[in-house]
Amino acid sequence: MDFVNRTRIAGLLLLLVVAMLVNVPTFSQEGVGRQDSPTDFSGEWIVRNNEDPGQPPLGDYTGIPFNDAGRQRAETTAESIWGTPEYQCRPHSAPHQWRGVGGARFIKEIDPLTRELTAYHVQFWRSLDRPIYLDGRPHPPAWAPHSWTGFSTGKWEGNTLVVTTTHLKDGYLKRSGPQTSDMYTMTEYITRHDSLLTIFMIVDDPIYLTEPFIQSTTYQLDPSSQIRLEPCTTSFDENGGSDPHAVPHYLPGKNTFLTEWLERDNWVPAVAARGGAETTYPEYRSRPNAPPIAPLSRTAVAADRKIADQSPNDGEVHVLPVQGNVYMLVADGSNATVSVGPDGVLLVDTGSARMTDKVQAAVKQLVATVMGPAPNNCMGLNCPRIPYGWSSPFMNTIIGSPAPAKPLRYIINTSASPDHTGGNEKIAASGFFPRGGGTGAVADVGQTASVIAHENVLNRMSAPTGKQAPAPAGAWPTDTYHRSFYKLSEYFNGEPIIVYHTPAAHTDGDSIVLFRHSEVISAGNIFSTVSYPAIDLEKGGSVQGIIDGLNQILDLAVAEYRSQGGTWIVPGHGRLSDTADVASYRNMVVMIRDRVQDMIKNGRTLEQVKAARPTMDFDGRYGSNTGPWTTDMFVEAVYRSLKEKK
Amino acid sequence: MIRRILVLAIAGTLVAGTAVYAHHSFGATYNSKEQIKVEGKLVQFVFRNPHSFVYIEAPDPAGVTQRWAIEWSGAAALGGQGVNRDTLRVGDYVIVTGRPSRSPGEYRVQMLTLKRPADGLTWGNRTGEVVD
Repeated sequence: MDFVNRTRIAGLLLLLVVAMLVNVPTFSQEGVGRQDSPTDFSGEWIVRNNEDPGQPPLGDYTGIPFNDAGRQRAETTAESIWGTPEYQCRPHSAPHQWRGVGGARFIKEIDPLTRELTAYHVQFWRSLDRPIYLDGRPHPPAWAPHSWTGFSTGKWEGNTLVVTTTHLKDGYLKRSGPQTSDMYTMTEYITRHDSLLTIFMIVDDPIYLTEPFIQSTTYQLDPSSQIRLEPCTTSFDENGGSDPHAVPHYLPGKNTFLTEWLERDNWVPAVAARGGAETTYPEYRSRPNAPPIAPLSRTAVAADRKIADQSPNDGEVHVLPVQGNVYMLVADGSNATVSVGPDGVLLVDTGSARMTDKVQAAVKQLVATVMGPAPNNCMGLNCPRIPYGWSSPFMNTIIGSPAPAKPLRYIINTSASPDHTGGNEKIAASGFFPRGGGTGAVADVGQTASVIAHENVLNRMSAPTGKQAPAPAGAWPTDTYHRSFYKLSEYFNGEPIIVYHTPAAHTDGDSIVLFRHSEVISAGNIFSTVSYPAIDLEKGGSVQGIIDGLNQILDLAVAEYRSQGGTWIVPGHGRLSDTADVASYRNMVVMIRDRVQDMIKNGRTLEQVKAARPTMDFDGRYGSNTGPWTTDMFVEAVYRSLKEKK
Repeated sequence: MIRRILVLAIAGTLVAGTAVYAHHSFGATYNSKEQIKVEGKLVQFVFRNPHSFVYIEAPDPAGVTQRWAIEWSGAAALGGQGVNRDTLRVGDYVIVTGRPSRSPGEYRVQMLTLKRPADGLTWGNRTGEVVD
């Protein structure tokens, strides 16, 4: 071997050594193949709280920035409300959940392709799974349902996860009284310090608080335990007695237990016990009766806007898939319910007259989407769902065009109100219900959809021969019923549909509609998430009828789990709801009824009742000083329907 | 002897530790300053978590027969105290003392003691026999 060759070989060997030196560490060096990430929260955590466990004694509102409505709502709430069927399996409300027993489990959801952290799931003792989405998705529209855990999105600020939660149900700030509305938002700052997790929570409830309620809770990693099962079965009778619909509550000023705890904790001034923003500031202790030194902050949530957004008057029709064949149409201030499927279209209520064209366009688009060509999942000779044993079904699936969609068959009116029957004439004319076939067919029968309603709806919309009717004949119901319910004579889109009469509620002709397989109830005007129930006394409505109708919905509906979901309820106005929402609404109407009834019993006049504001703690949520249905009109309707009842 | 006491102490602690956390607050639900007695025919026994219920048909103060709901401990805690789903039978005549509900017009009671005169069965007088 000459010198040159030796040099080349030596050079190659040197290169090999260098290459090995460079490459070997790539496989052994820690961190290679990994990427930076915010601190991981995954694992089992237990509460390590050194503060108030979240269960103050009755009447202790210290540190809660209540307004007057929040204070009255707390004082009139009876703890045995938890014995009613719709409450027994509820989990803790979101603000209290972090301080509830059982700890929490954090699970990471990772995109399998990109390895991005797309969500955390937080799980609690009462079987809740709370996703916190980190993938940038928007929050749902205001007409989407609310839940116990709400809808959460998160973003990182350094190692702190900032979580914003909307769409929360009404509940409580702390156990034993302090309530929240369903309009609050929650912001949490979650930070991990080794084996400790700090959750800093801000609850902003514009209905019951004058400024945000702030609370922090500490958790500790505990890999040696996990959340246990907490089973729950409901009973009608936890509160005893014979009325399964009884709503426990105190009349304003009649809860005598609120100061009981001050007999023991007599160092707390009574005025401080009633809460208020000023009691949340440290300097309040030294000067409880003086004006606050620090300027109070204010709620950042515009309640009126948030409530109105649930039923926007924006001249548009918004479609929300509900369950099974059923969709909710949010149509410029009032809702309609649609069933779309192989038998055609069934529409519960037709909206106001001004929205008719847009409702029709929305239904047409929905039919095209739902009944349009399906993806070709059929290949080969053993293709399912192809009749007649055809040897090449695959070809026809590709080249075939879909059968034309079946037309609108039925309209069901939940009342005669113009905001629910306004589109009847034009929309019914666009449909077809086969009536005239067979022997002796009549040409002009069956050229419109069947319009079903309680017979009092027809009475309200029509007039005897020779008299002027309130609505054109083409808008009138074609098929009425007069008993307590009416069943469609056959399945429609694969399910039974049953119409129940709710007597003397919004009017004397109200119906609710049950889609028995899809598990959806269309409630009409007896239920609204944006206003007090409209009671039309002149057309036979009453407050007791509203309550009975809401109870009827609660008897028919079944929660999926933990008192939420399951049967969905489409209100006449507002967001999609479930049994918990209807129960809260029912409770509100019962409480107001009982307050007004008590005042009547004590000889109060209508003006005195109005002046006493029996709706005060609910006005921020459901009240209005303007528009077609004001708080004043509601109180008067309640008063008169109780005073004049036979 | 010491060993037996220790075993009993540990068993007692375990039984006490099986108390199930209610979704409602007992202090807020029941009036701890009052005690009432309800006696009548047992019509239903719901043995479950988080709390069991005994239902009794008995007269209210006005003499009208009502269905009283007596809230008892959860099945796990009662199981540790020798109570099982067959301990009480529909038709048993029982005497219950307890805390009444704070809410007006309710027939709901937090059990303090239970007695069945027919065979002398009692509950509520031994250590750990409390509803919490």
